Amino acid sequence: MINLADLQGNILRGYTNKPHVRYLILEVVERSAARRWLADSVSGRNGVPRITSGDWGANRPDTCFNIGLTYEGLRALGTPSASLKMFPNEFVEGMTARASKLGDVGPNAPENWPKPFNEPKRIHLIATIYAENVEQLNEVQKRALTDAKAFKLLDTREGYNFPGDFVHFGYRDNITQPRFEGVPDSQRHPDRQPKAPLGTVLLGHPTNLEGLMWRVPHPIALGHNGTFNAFRVLQQDVAGFEQYLDQAAFYLFVHPKGGELLPHGDEEKIGKGPSRHAALREIVAANLCGRWRDGTPLALSGDAPDPDASRTDFDYIGESRCPHGAHIRRCNPRGGQIVQRIANNSRRLVRRGVPYGPPYDPAKPFERDEPERGLLGNFIGASLGAQFEAMSCDWLNLGLQDPRITGSNDPISGANDPGTSWFDLPLKSGGTIRLPGFPEFVSTRGGAYTFLPSLKAIEYLGSL
Amino acid sequence: MPNGGSWLDQYVNELPKKPWFKRAGAWILVPFWAWRTPVKPLPGGARPSIQPGENLQSMMNLIMPLKKENKSPIGRAKAALAIAENKDQIFAGLDNVGTVHFARFVIVNDNICMFSVYDGDFSNYIRDFIATIGSVFNAVVELVEGGDDVIPCEENVEAFIQWIHEHDLYQVPDTATDFLRDQEALNGDRAVSPVNDDLTLLPRKMVLQLRANANVSLGSGYRAYPGFSVAQVRKQLGLGW
Repeated sequence: MINLADLQGNILRGYTNKPHVRYLILEVVERSAARRWLADSVSGRNGVPRITSGDWGANRPDTCFNIGLTYEGLRALGTPSASLKMFPNEFVEGMTARASKLGDVGPNAPENWPKPFNEPKRIHLIATIYAENVEQLNEVQKRALTDAKAFKLLDTREGYNFPGDFVHFGYRDNITQPRFEGVPDSQRHPDRQPKAPLGTVLLGHPTNLEGLMWRVPHPIALGHNGTFNAFRVLQQDVAGFEQYLDQAAFYLFVHPKGGELLPHGDEEKIGKGPSRHAALREIVAANLCGRWRDGTPLALSGDAPDPDASRTDFDYIGESRCPHGAHIRRCNPRGGQIVQRIANNSRRLVRRGVPYGPPYDPAKPFERDEPERGLLGNFIGASLGAQFEAMSCDWLNLGLQDPRITGSNDPISGANDPGTSWFDLPLKSGGTIRLPGFPEFVSTRGGAYTFLPSLKAIEYLGSL
Repeated sequence: MPNGGSWLDQYVNELPKKPWFKRAGAWILVPFWAWRTPVKPLPGGARPSIQPGENLQSMMNLIMPLKKENKSPIGRAKAALAIAENKDQIFAGLDNVGTVHFARFVIVNDNICMFSVYDGDFSNYIRDFIATIGSVFNAVVELVEGGDDVIPCEENVEAFIQWIHEHDLYQVPDTATDFLRDQEALNGDRAVSPVNDDLTLLPRKMVLQLRANANVSLGSGYRAYPGFSVAQVRKQLGLGW
């Protein structure tokens, strides 16, 4: 059994009772002061916020505090070069150097990212505060920044979990995470996916690829039980998304096979009243995602949302009502047939996301000056290359896992262009209706690859 | 080459054809240029397209020099056997990895070469192969210079992928100005330099680059049809995927 007290708490826990999240993006000022800050953070000495571990003991903390270090951050702290050399290439190069693999091109290219992400080499440490209210966030931030010689605050990003776990496009999120071998299953949801080996999320443990181990940076105290995080600021064009649903609903309304998708008279089953247009919008939304907006998986309930259907206990083995190109199926094909047979279940990620920006108001649709809104996402896995990047470049974009979607990008988060994008809506008869012309709904506005060190590693870095 | 007006222009234009000038160029001029203007070797491998759908049927061209003790008919025979003995495993690997169209092994002048055509991301392709038939890679790479540092590949996944990447030939772009762009990107230059860039005149920059990258792939492979994935071809032909 893994010692949870050695892990940072945000790796295996979602902190669901702490809806307010703030990211402090920090630059090391003086190496010695920054090291002292890290040493203090392990136990919460001298007012520095205490790092929340995976073992809370008897007392649930009021606020949680976790950190991630970039490669530049490890260098700024004076990590020995022999250790630095052992970190994987993608982490060393950083997220901006991997832009083409991640679809961060054109308007999403790192050159167009706003401050502080336009100067990636200055981003050394990203600290995350999780709290029940903004006052607590302010209080912890103040304590974290007391010593001006340790870190300079470059900028912050802040998000808030909407009630009911809904996110900006109106889907329920935070439904499920991988369960891990040797870790108590806090979700206790039935799940047809096998438990993931611990090496999926922590360095130094067996991975899903038999016989393969990721390199653990030495000394062992630094690398063991650490993991990597792709932190992403993902802007969501909710108005554009809703507008596209309207456009697609009109298209299906007059499409000769539209009746097969939604038999006349079945409109109310979708839960949006008698309007055929409103029902078709929801059908499109559900197919693009692979879940109805209430979280019902299409794999279990293809015709309408079903509050009684399991949200987690499903698979894509054999015939499934979930489109091959749907967002959740692309990112995690579960046990379904894929081209890369050995990759089933090997690219899984722990996802921790929180929306930022105000919720979209459908009563005031398509206003020109919409405020920026989106998702502050963390995609955590022991190998950025074998998990996050592999998923992003071959599955999310390109669609290499299934010849029926190859050449198309993820309909929700892919790098789409209305001139070339397409998505096939499956019909019960076995045919499809091809939806064309959707733009990019999600664009990248910043991010960084960080290393999430264990508590022992933070102690080690503090003692350098 | 442009037509020179004066006798001097004509004389200079004829120079590259003269044997003494060719020798002087190879032994004196190019080494002098290289000393004056150091050029870094360009990294190898396919250049990912920013249009994801175009990242199909990419080429890998590995040239791996055999170890000193294997630079002999016996060493070459060992390399030939390493492939022949693992033939079944290679077929099984191709089947399970699912993204490789062709893989060819060739021995040229004490180099064992592996040329392949694959879909999608290079690192994923090599990693999936390690996970499937890592032992075949080990059997080949142990005969090669520097190979001992990265085998068994199953325990050195990241280093092995990087090593393979470093042995993959630079692919000279079809449009020669793209080659200058690669060179300048490597040097961190943002603007394309206007000096010596007349690409009809065997430019100095290209000569020096081919000195730094002695083996290169000319172009990224030419196809008679647009790129399709392995699975698209298999599905279309009714072979199952």
